[in-house]
Amino acid sequence: MLGPKQNATLDNFIPGENSQALSEITACTREKQGSYLYLWGPGSSGKSHLMTAAAKAANENSHAVAYVPLAQAAELSPEMLANIEQMELVCLDDIHTIAGNSNWEEALFHLFNHAREQATNLIISANCGPSSLQIALPDLVSRLASGVSYRLIPLDDETKLYLLVDHANKRGMKLTPESANYILNNFSRDTESLLALLEQLDRASLAAQRKLTIPFIRSLIEQTNQP
Amino acid sequence: MTPWNRCIEHLENTLSDQEFNTWIRPLQVDEEATEVMLFAPNKFVLDWVKNHYQEQITLLLEQLSNGQITRVSLGIGGSRRQNEPETTPAKESRTRIRPQVKSNLNPDFVFDTFVEGKSNQLARAASVQIGGNPGRAYNPLFIYGGVGLGKTHLMHAIGNSILNNNPSATVLYKHSEGFVAAMVRALQHNKIDEFKREYRSVNALLIDDVQFFAGKERSQEEFFHTFNALFESKQQIILTSDRFPKEVTGLEERLRSRFGWGLTVAIEPPDLETRVAIIKSKAVQLFGVDFPNEVAFFIGNRVRSNIRELEGALRRIVANAEFTGRPITLEFAKEALRDMLAAQDKLVTIENIQKTVAEYYKIRTSELLSSTRSRTIARPRQIAMSLAKELTNHSLPEIGNAFGGRDHTTVLYATRKIAELKESDHRIEEDYGNLFRTLTS
Repeated sequence: MLGPKQNATLDNFIPGENSQALSEITACTREKQGSYLYLWGPGSSGKSHLMTAAAKAANENSHAVAYVPLAQAAELSPEMLANIEQMELVCLDDIHTIAGNSNWEEALFHLFNHAREQATNLIISANCGPSSLQIALPDLVSRLASGVSYRLIPLDDETKLYLLVDHANKRGMKLTPESANYILNNFSRDTESLLALLEQLDRASLAAQRKLTIPFIRSLIEQTNQP
Repeated sequence: MTPWNRCIEHLENTLSDQEFNTWIRPLQVDEEATEVMLFAPNKFVLDWVKNHYQEQITLLLEQLSNGQITRVSLGIGGSRRQNEPETTPAKESRTRIRPQVKSNLNPDFVFDTFVEGKSNQLARAASVQIGGNPGRAYNPLFIYGGVGLGKTHLMHAIGNSILNNNPSATVLYKHSEGFVAAMVRALQHNKIDEFKREYRSVNALLIDDVQFFAGKERSQEEFFHTFNALFESKQQIILTSDRFPKEVTGLEERLRSRFGWGLTVAIEPPDLETRVAIIKSKAVQLFGVDFPNEVAFFIGNRVRSNIRELEGALRRIVANAEFTGRPITLEFAKEALRDMLAAQDKLVTIENIQKTVAEYYKIRTSELLSSTRSRTIARPRQIAMSLAKELTNHSLPEIGNAFGGRDHTTVLYATRKIAELKESDHRIEEDYGNLFRTLTS
């Protein structure tokens, strides 16, 4: 099971228009009180960042945490949900990916009920709102709709520009606003790909001993875009 | 920092976020001088950790403890410091006439907090009677209806009422899945007699969602005998399901027919007035907030499916009010529920933007993608491109491509042009605003 290394924390999440969601997630990592949050939004609106960061933060508050990446359901089993309601916090990532799979749907329904009984905090993410999920089990759908749901709003271009320059700075690279603009106009605009590109730029500029000029960036983007 | 903490730190830095969170994060630990015991929540996680990480963890811990720690063992459950000590020796339980039964009742689910309406009048009246006269009035009581309409609430209310009238009564609430799980556990640990005694000795047995017994034959058989024992000794049985007893599939006929022996009552979806009353009552119960009528009517009109969804809407409004410190008015509620009530809360796609813009300007989508440069087509095309940049995460080259293979600089030009026009041309500003709203709500 692979995935990017983001070192995601709640502190390094740039909230943009999502500060209310961030504040509620932070509360979920502090006290076990049967809170339930549903987060949804397009890819790279920050769902996975928030989920993994919440798991980390809760752990640092000495809370036991379970994190289930449902997008990997094919290689996992609903058995891995057994007893996890005993934890203080349960994070279920990408619940839309198990829609229509009756074994997972039923297991999640039971987990939801157990979590309510134990006052376990629950954070669930998906790519659409609860009523648009293609989940067949109505008992699960209605439960998913029973909490506060937040649509995560992706960062606007200005904030992405800031993010690029700031992250480059943290890596000790100098990225001019012009170069950052060039990236935004010519490359994928989702945050995850942008940060991955920075990592590549970091390595490539070190290896080639070159500054982050537009021609240098262009050559790397062209390589990246090659199939 | 203990060796385990250092080990965790190392794994966190080397594994992907997702991998670390999925498999290492849930482990709980007991550390001793030469041994570290790790506890997984269940067998699946245990086996995975054993197969993928145990060796690595053992090596790491040995290194990090300078050879002190030589063994890493794995188990299921919580760490010792979190496990509750076992305090019920067998001797003690033998002296009791009845095993102690935890009712599992939610004290908040009582008749006072159950809002009555036409849709649930009969079910509520029957429930109140049973609460006052269990085992005599109607036995069994079978409550059926769609999801999120209050079956479980009513069932708990009966249980709470029985206990209120007779504190020494034993009431047991179980979801059918809980019954199955308890039986499987009893079989595994050779305690099936204890299990039978527990379930057959109660004064009221409440089993939720009996449709989940479907296909579980051994559990059905056990439940059949439990049912008979309680029924014969005139103890109360209450059942719920999402459908009429005869229609519950996957159940043995003898069980289905017994479910219909007593009184079967339906709970229907609440009408508007009841939904409004529920919203107002829940707002007070859950948050101590009095919702203005117009806000309650607004939610009641827009959320019709079930009470859980009403609760979701209510929670979102209260969360927004707490976060912003603003009072709950109709406008505020509309704004708070904008995402939730969006007709299609799906994601905006470029195709969708093109279609919407074409319809708005009464032109064909194919014209947006064509090379036509006449202003009646070019302006809507520029608007559609700007919307695509604002509302999707697609790169500018991708957007250009989706508009008939145009260059990304054309997209850039279009967004600048539209930004300018929005300032100077009132009509463009209005069109853009209308389209933006259509696409996002």
